[in-house]
Amino acid sequence: MTVKYEKAVAIEKESVIVDGVDISGPWNRMFEQRVIFEYTPERIEEIASIPGAESFAYCYQCAKCVPVCPVDVVGNYGPRKLYRYVQTGMDLSQAPELWLCTTCANCLRVCPKEVNMVHIMPAVREQAILDGKFVPPELQQAFENTAKFGNPLGQPQRKRDAWVSKAGVPVPIIKDVGRPVAVLWYVGSYPSYHPRGMDAACAAARIFNALGIDFAILGKEEKDDGDSQRLAGEKGLFEALAEYNIATFNKYEWDEMVVTGPHELNAFKKVYPQYGFRRPVVHYTTFLVRYLDRLKPLLKYPVNKKVTFHDPCYLGRHDGEYEAPRRLLEAIPGLELVEMGRNRENGYCCGGGGGGMWLDSFTTNHTTMRLSEKRVMEAAATGADVLAVCCPFEVSRFEDAVKSTGNDHLLVRDILELLDASMRGSP
Amino acid sequence: MSSPKILVIGGGPAGLEAARSAAELGGEVILLEKRDRLGGAPDREGYAKLTHHWRDASEVIGNLVNAVVSNPHIQVKCQAEVKKASGSAGNFTIEVESNEITETIHAGAVIIATGFQHFDPGRATQYYNYYSFPDVITLTDLEKMLKDHHVVRPSNGQPPKRIAFIQCVGSRDRQLGNEYCSKVCCGVASKQAVELREQLPDSKVMIFYIDMRMYGYWENEIYWVAQEKYKVNYVKGVISEVLKKGDQLLIRGEDTTMGRPMEVTMDMVVLSVGMEPSAGTRTMAQLFGIKQNKYGFIEAGGENGIDPVATSVPGIFVVGAAAGPADLDDAISSAGLAAARAVALTRRMRV
Repeated sequence: MTVKYEKAVAIEKESVIVDGVDISGPWNRMFEQRVIFEYTPERIEEIASIPGAESFAYCYQCAKCVPVCPVDVVGNYGPRKLYRYVQTGMDLSQAPELWLCTTCANCLRVCPKEVNMVHIMPAVREQAILDGKFVPPELQQAFENTAKFGNPLGQPQRKRDAWVSKAGVPVPIIKDVGRPVAVLWYVGSYPSYHPRGMDAACAAARIFNALGIDFAILGKEEKDDGDSQRLAGEKGLFEALAEYNIATFNKYEWDEMVVTGPHELNAFKKVYPQYGFRRPVVHYTTFLVRYLDRLKPLLKYPVNKKVTFHDPCYLGRHDGEYEAPRRLLEAIPGLELVEMGRNRENGYCCGGGGGGMWLDSFTTNHTTMRLSEKRVMEAAATGADVLAVCCPFEVSRFEDAVKSTGNDHLLVRDILELLDASMRGSP
Repeated sequence: MSSPKILVIGGGPAGLEAARSAAELGGEVILLEKRDRLGGAPDREGYAKLTHHWRDASEVIGNLVNAVVSNPHIQVKCQAEVKKASGSAGNFTIEVESNEITETIHAGAVIIATGFQHFDPGRATQYYNYYSFPDVITLTDLEKMLKDHHVVRPSNGQPPKRIAFIQCVGSRDRQLGNEYCSKVCCGVASKQAVELREQLPDSKVMIFYIDMRMYGYWENEIYWVAQEKYKVNYVKGVISEVLKKGDQLLIRGEDTTMGRPMEVTMDMVVLSVGMEPSAGTRTMAQLFGIKQNKYGFIEAGGENGIDPVATSVPGIFVVGAAAGPADLDDAISSAGLAAARAVALTRRMRV
């Protein structure tokens, strides 16, 4: 057998002819060079020299990270493997692998050497972007939308508080309130613009009203927190947003900020302090649990459903909050809470973090299924009727995955929606 | 009223410490050394830095030697060899030849500290070509270069840019008869890799291993430092053969975590040779009629199997690498224990 390569490409040959037959095609990666002819420790050093990415060089190949890596579950990934790929020639800055990590932090949880992908990946991505390397177009689009419109969905700023009219209850805008408020509610981009996110926002508004909470939102002054863009490598964009947001937050008097999303929580609680913003910020689940005594009598209508709960990576592993969402769910009469195999500290990532929210098509080309699809299958396997979430990224992701995996019987609901349903007796 | 003397055979770290400890405990010690100077393997092989806190080997061993030669209760005899031995606990008679003069020594207890020798890489079953290719060297060869701050390829006198360590040469091998792990080579190779990166900052240094055995604090003090600070690269998968490729060496093996064969060129290959019983250790075992294990080291363990200095003959103790692969702290701690045992024995024998 004679094999003739034309136009040699390292991984995939554009054209391969075997015994005179053209067998070119995407599967021809079987012709990938098998023998390792060179080790490239200098590439590890290159990555480790980027501030924030130092720990990439620490990996001693124990492989504890690989089985808990959500991307490896549906593909071939994990810090240990990345280290070896780089050590054997991969230029991570130009490899698809650069964009697959969701910064879910499950690898870091088990890593004996504290190889910190949550710091490494954003640092390497930032460098790649600065160097003008390839950026997946859909991610680029989200960056541009954020820069232009203040939100990754590309929706106009003036419509940011349009959802308020659907809430059926007063939603004060802080600018109009003209006095200090107890709670500044940072709504977030997806609850402000995405139809299913708005449902959760309206539910939250009704709950806050029913509890008599003195709150207000920023309305048209609110812009995206930018944290996922930062994790995807756009630190410049993040810093511009942080500067704007901090100035806006500081314009008004308020005691505590409540956020709808765990990514915003991470931004304001963990990252904005580096830019001078140091104020109390809580996720809505942590906030509402404080009002359980007042909330319980309001939950008049049973929700007779079997419910399983998906821990958001940025609420659970990143912030250590596992109990509040479960206590809220358990407060709902009639509701039966069942757990998936991977929960709490070992919760499986939905795929939306670290920029994954805007990389679904790209990621699909490098995995056997979407992370959200894998998670929906796990949820369905519990026999649950409802997959409960409390991160605004998740509703749309899981609802798509419910359809694509043929699990249409599984309803995806934000905890806010379930509480609201129990308050009002509507599904 | 005086106690019988304690005879220590071997002037390396274990023998030096045994002599010093025994004298400090009140014993009268005679220390025999075959070479013309004290210091043992670290001195003979010209060790650079020690795996213990990166201390300078000559300084540390020098301190041990000074403590011995300055002690009035230790009589040091260099260029001395034991020729005959007889007697039992409390009453040994040893014939020693020194400078062609034979003398008879009476001792109540004997401490054997005759150590190890490095594995001869010519015996390796793998095709490493130590004796054919000048740029294939051993840990001990490299140690001398590091000490002189003159690391060059023996073939051309140029500093190497690509250096590979091959672990487990002569150890963990049934065919060679050395089934044991030599215990120190992982630490020593990693220590040398760090020194290489210090002395030749542009060099690529890789360590090919079966398992890295960095027990205790070596893990964080040597292994992690080598990898994290000095960017020494570790690859799981030991090398099977070293071939010539132009004026370079081609190492071939399997990269096991990638599941791929590897063929990489190197400027210099360092064989991490393990430990074998020294000729002195074998001879002493025979002269004193002490049981050896199947590898030729002196068998230790005593009645309960957990006494690291008791031999099969009461009154004769073994310390350091004469009993099997040992690190310096193993040598020092076994030496202290043997000194205590020997002094206690000779006290009971006061005349």
